[in-house]
Amino acid sequence: MLPTELRASLAEQIASVDHPRELLVDVMFAVQDHYGYLSDQAVEEVADLLGMTPLEVEELATFYTFVYRHRVGKYVIHVCDSVICWMDGHESLVEHLERKLEIKMGETTPDGLFTLLPVCCIGYCDRAPAILINKKVYGPLTPEKIDEILAKLQGEA
Amino acid sequence: MPNNYPQVLFQNRKPDRITTLEEYQQSGGYRALADVLRNYSYKDVQEALVEAILLGRGGAAFPAGRKLMTIADDAPFPRYVVCNADEMEPGTFKDRVLIHADPHMIIEGMIIDGYGAKAEKGVIFIRPEYESAAKILEREIKIAKEAGFLGKNIMGTDYSLDIVVHRSAGRYICGEVTAQLNALMGRRPNPKQPPPYPTEKGLWDRPTVLQNVETLANIPHIIRNGPEWYKSLAKTETGAGTKIFCVSGRVNKPGCVELPIGVRLSEIIELHAGGMPAGSEYKACLPGGASTRYLSKEFYDIEMDFEPLRQVGHRLGTGAIMVFDHKTCLVGATLNLTEFFARESCGWCTPCREGLPYIRDLLARLEAGDGREELIPMLQQMSKHLWSSYCAFAPGAVSPVESLITYFEDEVRDHISQKQCPFK
Amino acid sequence: MPNIVIDDREIEVPAGTKVIDAARQLDIMIPRFCYHVALGSVGACRVCAVKFVEGPFKGVQMSCMIDAKDGMVVSTTDEEAVEFRKYVIECLMLHHPHDCPVCDEGGHCLLQDMTISGGHGIRRYLGSKRTYRDQYLGPLVQHEMNRCIHCYRCSRFYQEFAGYRDLGVMQSANRVFFGRYEDGILESPFTGNLSDICPTGVYTDKPSRFIGRRWDYERSPSLCINCSLGCHTVASARYRQLVRQEARYSEEVNGYFICDRGRYGFFYASHEKRPRRALVEGEEVAYHQAIDTVREKLAQISGSAGPEAIACLSSERSSLETQAMLKRVCQNKNWSGPLFFMEQSLAEKVKTATARLEPGLTVSLRELEQADFILAVGADPINEAPMLALAMRQAQRFGGRVVVIDPRPIFLPFDFQHLPVRLHEVDLYLSLMIKAAVDRETATELGPSAAEFYQTIPTLETAAVPLQEQIATLAQELRGCQRPVIVCGTEVVPQTTPALAADQVLLLKAMDKQTGLFYLMPGANTFGASLLSGDDGSFSTTLESIEKGKIKALIVTERDLFWKYQNKQRLERIIEKLDLLVVLDYVDSETAQKSDVFFPVSSLYEAGGVFINQEGRVQVAPKVYLGGTPIKQNSGGGHPPRVYGVGIPGSEPRPAWQVVVEIGNGELPPDEETAFATTRKWLAEGNPVFANLPPIDQFPDDGVRLGPALDVGSRFSLDWQTERHPKRNSDGLELILVDWTFGTEELSIYSPHLRQVEKEPCLSMHTSDAVRLGLSSGDKVAIRFDGGRVEASLCVAENMASGVIVMPRHRLLEWQKIKELPRIVRFEEIEKVSV
Ligand SMILES: Cc1cc2nc3c(=O)[nH]c(=O)nc-3n(C[C@H](O)[C@H](O)[C@H](O)COP(=O)(O)O)c2cc1C
Ligand code: SF4
Ligand code: FES
Repeated sequence: MLPTELRASLAEQIASVDHPRELLVDVMFAVQDHYGYLSDQAVEEVADLLGMTPLEVEELATFYTFVYRHRVGKYVIHVCDSVICWMDGHESLVEHLERKLEIKMGETTPDGLFTLLPVCCIGYCDRAPAILINKKVYGPLTPEKIDEILAKLQGEA
Repeated sequence: MPNNYPQVLFQNRKPDRITTLEEYQQSGGYRALADVLRNYSYKDVQEALVEAILLGRGGAAFPAGRKLMTIADDAPFPRYVVCNADEMEPGTFKDRVLIHADPHMIIEGMIIDGYGAKAEKGVIFIRPEYESAAKILEREIKIAKEAGFLGKNIMGTDYSLDIVVHRSAGRYICGEVTAQLNALMGRRPNPKQPPPYPTEKGLWDRPTVLQNVETLANIPHIIRNGPEWYKSLAKTETGAGTKIFCVSGRVNKPGCVELPIGVRLSEIIELHAGGMPAGSEYKACLPGGASTRYLSKEFYDIEMDFEPLRQVGHRLGTGAIMVFDHKTCLVGATLNLTEFFARESCGWCTPCREGLPYIRDLLARLEAGDGREELIPMLQQMSKHLWSSYCAFAPGAVSPVESLITYFEDEVRDHISQKQCPFK
Repeated sequence: MPNIVIDDREIEVPAGTKVIDAARQLDIMIPRFCYHVALGSVGACRVCAVKFVEGPFKGVQMSCMIDAKDGMVVSTTDEEAVEFRKYVIECLMLHHPHDCPVCDEGGHCLLQDMTISGGHGIRRYLGSKRTYRDQYLGPLVQHEMNRCIHCYRCSRFYQEFAGYRDLGVMQSANRVFFGRYEDGILESPFTGNLSDICPTGVYTDKPSRFIGRRWDYERSPSLCINCSLGCHTVASARYRQLVRQEARYSEEVNGYFICDRGRYGFFYASHEKRPRRALVEGEEVAYHQAIDTVREKLAQISGSAGPEAIACLSSERSSLETQAMLKRVCQNKNWSGPLFFMEQSLAEKVKTATARLEPGLTVSLRELEQADFILAVGADPINEAPMLALAMRQAQRFGGRVVVIDPRPIFLPFDFQHLPVRLHEVDLYLSLMIKAAVDRETATELGPSAAEFYQTIPTLETAAVPLQEQIATLAQELRGCQRPVIVCGTEVVPQTTPALAADQVLLLKAMDKQTGLFYLMPGANTFGASLLSGDDGSFSTTLESIEKGKIKALIVTERDLFWKYQNKQRLERIIEKLDLLVVLDYVDSETAQKSDVFFPVSSLYEAGGVFINQEGRVQVAPKVYLGGTPIKQNSGGGHPPRVYGVGIPGSEPRPAWQVVVEIGNGELPPDEETAFATTRKWLAEGNPVFANLPPIDQFPDDGVRLGPALDVGSRFSLDWQTERHPKRNSDGLELILVDWTFGTEELSIYSPHLRQVEKEPCLSMHTSDAVRLGLSSGDKVAIRFDGGRVEASLCVAENMASGVIVMPRHRLLEWQKIKELPRIVRFEEIEKVSV
């Protein structure tokens, strides 16, 4: 269950707009931030808040890249795989990440810390190869830099 | 890097932080708005933009003034102005840089554009990867509001406009106008073929004018300095204004530069992007994002303007120049691009939804050395069919494929004859 | 009207016609998947591509997206267009399984047709096929997502057209998935249409899975008799079993769709327990033996007690032939009756409705979709006649306003305004609204009685009713609209409402509006019944006569006395009392079980028949198949059966009208056509409207609407004024008996599949009443009736009138313990049952 304050503040936000549905993405993000991902329960709560059916929420939730309908780690690493990063060593970057975290793309580390996901061009081609960790960009990357970043995040966790 | 060209959009750009409201105002910011609110009718705004030949910078190059003019005089209210900051076109990052450089320029542009549409509500649609930009915009909108540039009775006049930032959850198709409007309304972001046009029935069935970030940023300057000045900025007869080119790939200094419309591609690469790395030779570039056609060496000197490129069957797109050198496999690059498009297709229409994975499959076979001669005409034929898709996504998606075969058929054939990628 | 040339042929079409439809008018069938006339064009599948040679568009374009315009020249056979269409089909086949040989859609699959006609035969794609996981969608449709071609028809029908919100589109790109949020029974009562509109085999008809291919079936047009709308269907039988029913297009009635009650309501016809042999005192006898027995007994009774001692009771679900024959036999024999209704007040309301459906006022379902203001009084569309709700939704989707005046908790799959008032207030609220929308001068122009009628309606200001403001606003809208329709129920409403509704429509019409009147009636042939029913006596007097011993024999055709009568004990007693109860039916009803002599009769599908729907539309259902015990039942599923004999097993049932004729010693006409011809002639003698009916084989598809069917009687009666103040009761709740979509209709309850989708019966009351009684939703409550306790769970609702308690006549509820109607349930008679 969503904490009462979060629920109330979302409800208030929804009440303040003309068309509740326009807030769908914001509400999904807020609820996702709370649970770590958009669980079934989360979908149902979002639906309830917005006066939609779970199906109507699911229609959108499954459309978008940044709504996670499966459990993800504390840090979601989106590795850009579009053409400039591809040209600038995306493949070895992925290999390095997979080796380092001992998971494949699409998986989450057993400690629940990291999830590796591909993403299309994130708009940082001037910093290729680039990745996004919890919507924060890192790049251009080298294996050393990655190790540094991972170590730092592990330390913070 | 010598760049002695006048800097308009980037005039206040700083290496490490945004331009504040005061700084923006010191540079003349919000003076255009004051002028418009006092001395312009909404039609005057439309005319100024038409006269300046301001073409949309989001890729489609539609005249911004003409777009405003398609709103009927008696169209209902509330009307909306939308700023398209989705920028998901691979290779493109100019809007991000612009927002980080001078957010108030965009806000001012949006208000003036909104005035030209008699809009009461403004929305900035921004991709999730640009969360920092979204936060900046939210903060600066508030500052602008406190300063009286936004909200009720702007600068004491009877024009009112509110702007909110709408975060997307990420899909390339959300950059397409009609899909974006659906996304804004909390519907599945499938495109919707006009008629009705968004300026007739857009958000919540109300007139909506949507422009790209860079397009909007030009507006204050056009108002302030006049259409003639704006036109004179360009190097070409047909062009007007400056363009932000974002250069990436095999260049020494990837990044964004503001240059007059019509500078030559060679100049951009050699002078403004630091040239190509030693040992790299120019093979091709995509001049305006992933959905434009490869410009082979024969176009190395072309004037980077909408019209000259159009005349040789190319598009300027977003002005995102992705440079490929002689060591890069263009079959591989095209496969990567097609992978992107196949993944990002919205899934609405058949040719795009099923055709792109089909093309990807063929390219993957070619790249892996599994190709056969017949695949080449098949690729051509399929790409042609994708032009009959529902929206402009698919024709963009096959642009790299088609131009690959037009200009680099030999490279494709090498993959077949050598039964492997010759670059590996 | 634009002129367009398609494949060198010219045609003029109304402005706004899409090229794909213009082509159809030339009998050129352009392929389509996403396009559907009812759902409109969306341009998603791209298979309707044609070449535009001249005119405002050029090149390969979608014919479903472009309006035909003057000067257009279009080629459907152009090489480029053909090649593109072929490519689209190839794309759609990339992932489609090659399971046509085992797919239930095989043989009537649009994709199959297009693949073959498009010439796609060889797979070029070397990749693997995408697969999906299917969902459980309930007992009515089977999901098989791998066959999906992503035409979006299902979600568009389900959400946009029908207004339900639990099936849709998920995912993006080539991962797009159509289904529900999670496994579960689809919520819409229009679910079955998914199998009709899906152009391939993603949604197939679940009950008929693996039973046969379309070409195996005996297929025939038919009609739905599960409510009064008379929707058109196609029924399919195989091996003497009725296995499937689909929607049949009807321009005037149901359009392309039907509801699930209608689609899956036919299972009584091949039910295992369906009685197929005549019975005398419970013993199976030959048909003629039973006839002889009945004739003999009737002769005895007639001889000893007079012919009036024999009474006949017909039914609203009988065909016109059966109704008429029974009436004729009664008249010839001087028997009492026939009665067509068990409830006198209902009979009168229906007769009023029949009389007031004047030409110029009557609207069809299709016409109702054009309405810009629908005012429904005493009608619960989803529950009483689901397709009406769908038609109302179309009106609403295109900008129409819908207002419902009804005490029940009304649900409709769209936004509407509900004025939840008590039954006796329905007339007043209707009148207030119309008065506020109609000028006095207009009423005066209609003559003195109209003027007086108008005059006596209180004005909104003086009426001092709640909801005043709401009514005023709505009336303002009504005033501004062009095509208002009043929908009026006949079951729960007060006696005066049907006539009042017609009068109010006349007032609206006088305001220069294109006005419509639409009644709902309780049965498939209620209209026929009301035309035939006389003024002589009611069922309650018949009951009394039986109790007094004056009536000794009762002949009941196609009716279960217990189904809609509120006093079970009394019925049981009178059946005891009767010397002879003869029942003709095709279902094993309680009445049938209690009969002395029973005749099995053919169902609609075996006998065919003429039915008149609630708008007076006479429609013909042809025979579908011969009948007989399904092979599956008489040979345990083995085929062919190893039992030898002459004739078809189980084929003894014959049309009820034949049995009626024979019981009455009549001469059987040689065939149905003659039968109908004689019936029609005889009917025309009684009522000239029948004179205009064509011979049975010349009936137009959409039937024939009867002119003024009965004498209109007096208009602008002031009766409703005197009836609108019933005794106020502060110590109880007014009991309202209602129908539900599933579980209350006499025939569809035999469907094992619908039983799975029906809701558990519950009683509804308004929040304020529940609070007063200390009850809440989900509580199990018992009501003490004179005939015993009725237990059910409680639904507490805000959107209904207070002061009433609503009870469905549900098959799982022993509501027949009520005994007396109307009934006020006193508060102390309601108690919470602890579980
Ligand atoms: C598939 C697709 C993606 C697009 N993405 C973007 C985008 O991310 N940003 C953008 O400004 N325009 C994008 N466009 C172009 C818009 O549809 C539209 O033309 C533009 O935003 C209008 O603004 P402008 O006239 O100022 O350029 C896209 C178009 C297509 C077909
Ligand atoms: S072309 Fe692609 S993106 Fe555009 S509507 Fe069709 S499927 Fe969607
Ligand atoms: S029928 Fe025209 S695009 Fe599908």
